[in-house]
Amino acid sequence: MSKYAERETITPASGERPCTWLDRTAQQLIRHAARHAPQALSERLEEEWLADLAARAGALARLRLAIGCRWAAQVIAHEQGASALAGAAAGGHKVMSTYLQFGSTPGPRRGVVFILIAGLHVVLICGFAAGLSHSMVTSIPPTIIGRFLPEAPPPPLPPPLPRVTLVTPRPIDFVPPEVLLPPTGENTITLPSHAPPAATPPAVPTPVTRVPGGPGKGFPNTDDFYPPSAIRLGESGIAAVNVCVADNGALSADPTIAQSSGSARLDAGALKLARAGSGHYRATTENGRPVRSCYTFRVNFRLRD
Amino acid sequence: MSLQTLKVLEAFLEEPTEQLSGADVQKRSGLASGTLYPILLRLESAGWFTSRWEAIDPVSAGRPRRRLYRLTSSGLARASEVFASFGRGVLA
Repeated sequence: MSKYAERETITPASGERPCTWLDRTAQQLIRHAARHAPQALSERLEEEWLADLAARAGALARLRLAIGCRWAAQVIAHEQGASALAGAAAGGHKVMSTYLQFGSTPGPRRGVVFILIAGLHVVLICGFAAGLSHSMVTSIPPTIIGRFLPEAPPPPLPPPLPRVTLVTPRPIDFVPPEVLLPPTGENTITLPSHAPPAATPPAVPTPVTRVPGGPGKGFPNTDDFYPPSAIRLGESGIAAVNVCVADNGALSADPTIAQSSGSARLDAGALKLARAGSGHYRATTENGRPVRSCYTFRVNFRLRD
Repeated sequence: MSLQTLKVLEAFLEEPTEQLSGADVQKRSGLASGTLYPILLRLESAGWFTSRWEAIDPVSAGRPRRRLYRLTSSGLARASEVFASFGRGVLA
């Protein structure tokens, strides 16, 4: 045992106050671990581990370190024993040949780990089984007894409605009121004394040659007013537009739809076309003289292939 | 070579000439003491490490001496060879 290891309590290097019982336990664990290490390494490991224990901050961390050292001592002892056997078998060469197997895990350690894992599984399985059975017992509902309830009586019918008799109204005899006129003495009418107008011969109607108007030269193209939305929807049709045209070919009133095409979009397009054509209408002529007139023309919106 | 051994070597390779105690290596590698100390002893026995006591008087210092480990030149070469073959991404 090293001279320093004989001290009862080691003060942590971090300057924190030692947690007396935890630190004492940790040091006892390390001393105990060192005693289980191979004889040649026991003193060295004890001092080394105590120094590392003092460097560790936190009482719980120190305790964990000590527990790990206990495990390390067991592993080192196992490896030393195995290497001694290997050394004896190899005639003493490479005494620590086992240490070269850096990745090797000692058999007992592996066995202990396996037993621990298996035990943990058994405990978990038992716990689950017990927990499930308990919940199953408590989740069984009490016996349910069915009972037929008497059928409720139907609600009483509403009272019958009073019988209604239709009465045909009697025709009303209209008696015109009696009008009392002031007495005039004689039942005669006196006409003012006007000279009778001279009889004029009836006018002879003259024949009028009327040529109805319509879209004229320079009138816009129908396709330019085909609404794009109607084209996308594949709508086509004929709208009849009523226009009033002055003698100069311009519109004298706002055009209206005389007959719908069946599509509001096409009707709107036809009205736009009619308004745009103002000034390009052919006025109706009477005896060759253009006059103001109203007429209807048709706008045919037809989809082309 | 186990992953834990590689972690110990990596802790030393950060500064190959540095001397580290077991507590230092544990801090760098994050290994538990039960795993770390056997590895240190194995590597020392195999000649990868050399160790010595810290040059202090424990009584006057008020604490035990630390055991300081250092990579040997052959250990450094072999450790570098191992990491070159594995690639350092192994421990990431």
